[in-house]
Amino acid sequence: MSDAAVSLTSMEFHPQPRPGTAKPWAFPAPERGTLDNGLTVLRCHRPGQQVVAVEIFLAAPLEAEPEGLDGVATIMARALSEGTDKHSAEEFAAELERCGATLDAHADHPGVRISLEVPVSRLAKALGLVAEALRAPAFADSEVERLVRNRLDEIPHEIANPARRAAMQLSKELFPATSRMSRPRQGTEATVAGIDSAAVRAFFEAHVRPATATAVVVGDLTGVDLDAVLADTLGAWTGDTAEPRPVPPVTADDTGRVIIVDRPGAVQTQLLIGRIGPDRHDRVWPAQVLGTYCLGGTLTSRLDKVLREEKGYTYGVRAFGQVLRSGPQGGAAMLAISGSVDTPNTGPALDDLWKVLRTLAAEGLTDAERETAVQNLVGVAPLKYETAASVAGTLADQVEQHLPDDFQAQLYARLAETGTVEATAAVVSAFPTDRLVTVLVGDAARIKEPVEALGLGEVTVVTG
Amino acid sequence: MPMGHTATAQAGSGGLTATEHRLANGLRVVLSEDHLTPVAAVCLWYDVGSRHEVEGRTGLAHLFEHLMFQGSKQVQGNGHFELVQGAGGSLNGTTSFERTNYFETMPAHQLELALWLEADRMGSLLAALDDESMENQRDVVKNERRQRYDNVPYGTAFERLTALAYPEGHPYHHTPIGSMADLDAATLEDARNFFRTYYAPNNAVLSVVGDIDPEQTLAWIEKYFGSIPSHDGKQPPRDGTLPETIGGQLREVVVEEVPARALMAAYRLPHDGTRECDAADIALTVLGGGESSRLHNRLVRRDRTAVAAGFGLLRLAGAPSLGWLDVKTSGGVEVPDIESAVDDELARFAAEGPTPEEMERAQAQLEREWLDRLGTVAGRADELCRYAVLFGDPQLALTAVQRVLDVTADEVRAVAQARLRPDNRAVLVYEPAGTDHSEQEEEGADQ
Repeated sequence: MSDAAVSLTSMEFHPQPRPGTAKPWAFPAPERGTLDNGLTVLRCHRPGQQVVAVEIFLAAPLEAEPEGLDGVATIMARALSEGTDKHSAEEFAAELERCGATLDAHADHPGVRISLEVPVSRLAKALGLVAEALRAPAFADSEVERLVRNRLDEIPHEIANPARRAAMQLSKELFPATSRMSRPRQGTEATVAGIDSAAVRAFFEAHVRPATATAVVVGDLTGVDLDAVLADTLGAWTGDTAEPRPVPPVTADDTGRVIIVDRPGAVQTQLLIGRIGPDRHDRVWPAQVLGTYCLGGTLTSRLDKVLREEKGYTYGVRAFGQVLRSGPQGGAAMLAISGSVDTPNTGPALDDLWKVLRTLAAEGLTDAERETAVQNLVGVAPLKYETAASVAGTLADQVEQHLPDDFQAQLYARLAETGTVEATAAVVSAFPTDRLVTVLVGDAARIKEPVEALGLGEVTVVTG
Repeated sequence: MPMGHTATAQAGSGGLTATEHRLANGLRVVLSEDHLTPVAAVCLWYDVGSRHEVEGRTGLAHLFEHLMFQGSKQVQGNGHFELVQGAGGSLNGTTSFERTNYFETMPAHQLELALWLEADRMGSLLAALDDESMENQRDVVKNERRQRYDNVPYGTAFERLTALAYPEGHPYHHTPIGSMADLDAATLEDARNFFRTYYAPNNAVLSVVGDIDPEQTLAWIEKYFGSIPSHDGKQPPRDGTLPETIGGQLREVVVEEVPARALMAAYRLPHDGTRECDAADIALTVLGGGESSRLHNRLVRRDRTAVAAGFGLLRLAGAPSLGWLDVKTSGGVEVPDIESAVDDELARFAAEGPTPEEMERAQAQLEREWLDRLGTVAGRADELCRYAVLFGDPQLALTAVQRVLDVTADEVRAVAQARLRPDNRAVLVYEPAGTDHSEQEEEGADQ
């Protein structure tokens, strides 16, 4: 103790400093253009970012997958980098890595996203490989067969993961069985097993073409003749034209209820509590972002203030809104609260969680909370968008959600204008206490009874 | 032609510079200017990690890191988080074997706030530390352990591998998360003593990187940190010296509820900071980094016996580094089939070394990883601290990528030959419970 006392008396304390003058920063405005083959290109010069990020969006949505072939978009996305008319699968991977590049492709509800990151000096070569993959993918029988087997091997790993298992169950609960959204994005064992190279090629030919694709290129482009690079690479990709697919309406059953995915012996309960709500096209979006941050954006938000920092039930619980699919005529975001709590405290934690929601509905947010949230959400923008990859990711999100290129830039202005009352209304209507579907992955024998006592709706147990 | 395939004209520092300073109380300071974006990163490394923990108190360094966010003399409760986030900043802290780091990335005009906050807790944490925050954060950390290790398949693999690879009593035998029993046993007095022992300005390095005025920044640092007294209560960590190789294969078989069999292994490798460690990094990248690596090509593409196969490198300065093999089997494939294929590939690599194309690919991959790390102010601040704390020279961060590019194929082969051997590894095998072991279970039930 005496050491500490000495330290305390000898350190000179100063009052909390005032901030300096903020320097202007704006979300970068991309330059939009179209290549001769119809490919839309967004480009954005970011000084100092030596690793260039390229995001390519292919308008091949999951709902376009043929009946019974869930997962074909995923296998197609993966097969793009498994050989072309010029390179075998192994050669293709080797050539890409020789550029120091990473390439990732995955299929989600709006379409397929291909993400390339590469040092700028090797951009032309890497982009040439990506163009080759789009122009002339081999889709060799043996490679597709291998990808199918590999995918089948992955499924048990995903089911074993409590967070992944919870997400699968929530989708199944929320959406009608006829909706593609009710089923796993990357397919089930039954559907994936039926995918072959013919199915992959058919899906590719029906839905992948430059005219409905967009490429976003972000990085330090000093000294790069991007037009020439594009003309030699993605510009050489040809294809016919097609009408864009309409975005189908999204509906969900958010009747308040609880589903326990039984995991005997689990030391924690994974919780995922959600429903669907407005997307970025809705005027309420900025208020919803603000209100959701106040509810569960960080460890000083309302949920963690109680569940973590007061009670210690969890390492952290977050509330978020994640757009599933979005277009000018319709779309939806998943609005959810997720985290894990220790098994014995599952009942008390859910009780507290609902108390937080009820208190929020009854009393609303405070001006101070709103102010902190705006300061954070707007203030972190220059940090968040320091890298080329983060800028490219947001620009491509905007494209796939049919938003204008200046959406993110405008969002910051709209957030700053959003008041406490609007933010409260948005978050309360996003998370109504009687319209939430709760999925718990945990030990049913230990958590069912305490959860039933909370009256959150019917409680059912399904096997893990 | 070591420079023949570098991605940047100035491979290495990429034009970055850093200056070094030392306050009278021993606090080392590293500053690096970069005005491209109006942000500034503050990073503080304390030279204390789980290797400094004593028996019965594993996990204390990490639990203590949590307590550093629970307020200090002038900062109430969660004020550290609230003030930084309210200023548009992001922040966190992490604990590893060899150090504990704390970092804030701020809009440039809020830099002074981050310095004030770090200084307040460095100098006066004990004014706020109490039983309530201790009990609360103990529960939070136990839930962190459950979430990240105990409640996920293969979650304790890393813990088991390090326990195998570093012998009982070795400072790296246990991982930073610690055991539940030790987390339960930690007392408020333990935490206080930990602070008094390790949280001194002369046991830390502070780096500030980004859109800063170095002169003004240094003046602020002097103002806020300058009067924090130094002290020298710290004992060096227990000796981490081990023979260069294990000298025999160690093995553990775990029967658990996992979705597939797995073969994992930890190879004892050269210390971080040596040329041999960089050579090992390249060897592991050629063998198990990315989709064109030898193990991926053999096990995932050709034999089709694995879902995923790869190698990772855990660089350590105070003990031998670890090369971590991780293979998840496909379908009903048995572990011995995987193991013989791995041995085969490693032996062939040790005999032949990498091809020129493999060298080029591995170096290009490692170079991009470096460009990524140095591409953000926070990444750069962390690397400057790392080289200052572990190797005494922050400038080494700016030339690290060049050292990786200078390594030759012969050096890669040499380290593979010496280290990537069956008698220099700890093997961890996972067998799913209730599949092939049903016979054993029945035997058990009969008895």
